[in-house]
Amino acid sequence: MKAERLHELADAYGADLRRWPASERAFAESLIAADPSLKSVLDEAATLDALLNAAPAPVPSAALTARVLAVAPKRKARSRLGRAVWYLGAGWAAAACAGVVAGVGLTTHLTADARADAVLYQSSLTGVDDTEVLG
Amino acid sequence: MVAIVDPDEDLVRRVGQGDPAAAQTLVARKLPRILALAQRMLGDAAEAEDVAQEAMLKAWRQAPKWAPGKARFDTWLHRVALNLCYDRLRRRREIPTDTPPDRRDEGPAPDRGLLAAETGVRVDAALKRLPDRQREAIVLCHYQELSNIEAAALMEISVEALESLLSRGRRALRQALSDMAPAGSPRAGRGDGR
Repeated sequence: MKAERLHELADAYGADLRRWPASERAFAESLIAADPSLKSVLDEAATLDALLNAAPAPVPSAALTARVLAVAPKRKARSRLGRAVWYLGAGWAAAACAGVVAGVGLTTHLTADARADAVLYQSSLTGVDDTEVLG
Repeated sequence: MVAIVDPDEDLVRRVGQGDPAAAQTLVARKLPRILALAQRMLGDAAEAEDVAQEAMLKAWRQAPKWAPGKARFDTWLHRVALNLCYDRLRRRREIPTDTPPDRRDEGPAPDRGLLAAETGVRVDAALKRLPDRQREAIVLCHYQELSNIEAAALMEISVEALESLLSRGRRALRQALSDMAPAGSPRAGRGDGR
């Protein structure tokens, strides 16, 4: 019964055990190891395998390869409208950045002036008080 | 559910992103396989080129939306190519031609010598003469080296039915090529032994 299954598998899949169902490879190997005469089953199948392997596979022509590659997916290039929208957005972003920089600079400047005025004012107040105290 | 390990997964993702190097690699990896499949299924070089080109076009369209984990990309591509082959085989049957397709049997030619090219021609002719389903089973399992489970799934049959097709196909090939078996071969000259 087991030898019969070996014949069935060799008849269907040939002599190369890599083509056999994964679940039955170990079974075949153990069967042949136990009875080496069964190797002749694989030898018979190998004859047809060799003939099948003699039929060469076609090689794709350069023209076919080029035709296929010519229509392969490409990274999307931005459309004219897309580019315009992108430039507009970039312009607004640049203007906003410039505004922030200018605002920060101006604020710093004004704050410094205000702080100087406050110091002078404080000084003048102190001066009045001293005069009053000293007479 | 068992996760499917797909050796092409990363490549297909990059193809979908428009990576030209990935596209070249995928073509180098798949185009010869698909062309061989179509050539052996149809037995016609020009039709095989058309099928291979169309299958690869579908691959380009599929790549950006490919969802890994459901199936191997190679199996999917075989499915696509096989469907294209079926369409052409069906059309051939529906449109009878005055000149039938070349199916002549060159027959035994023991004195001709077994040059490799000649052997290839004989084997191709014998394959072409097989019933479509037997040829398909042998092409998928022997030449495309798909597992029996993958081949059976592609052909939408059970593994047992696949084995039956393979056995009958190989038996017919042995008979057709019996004169070419090397001397001393157990089955040389007697066709099917069992």
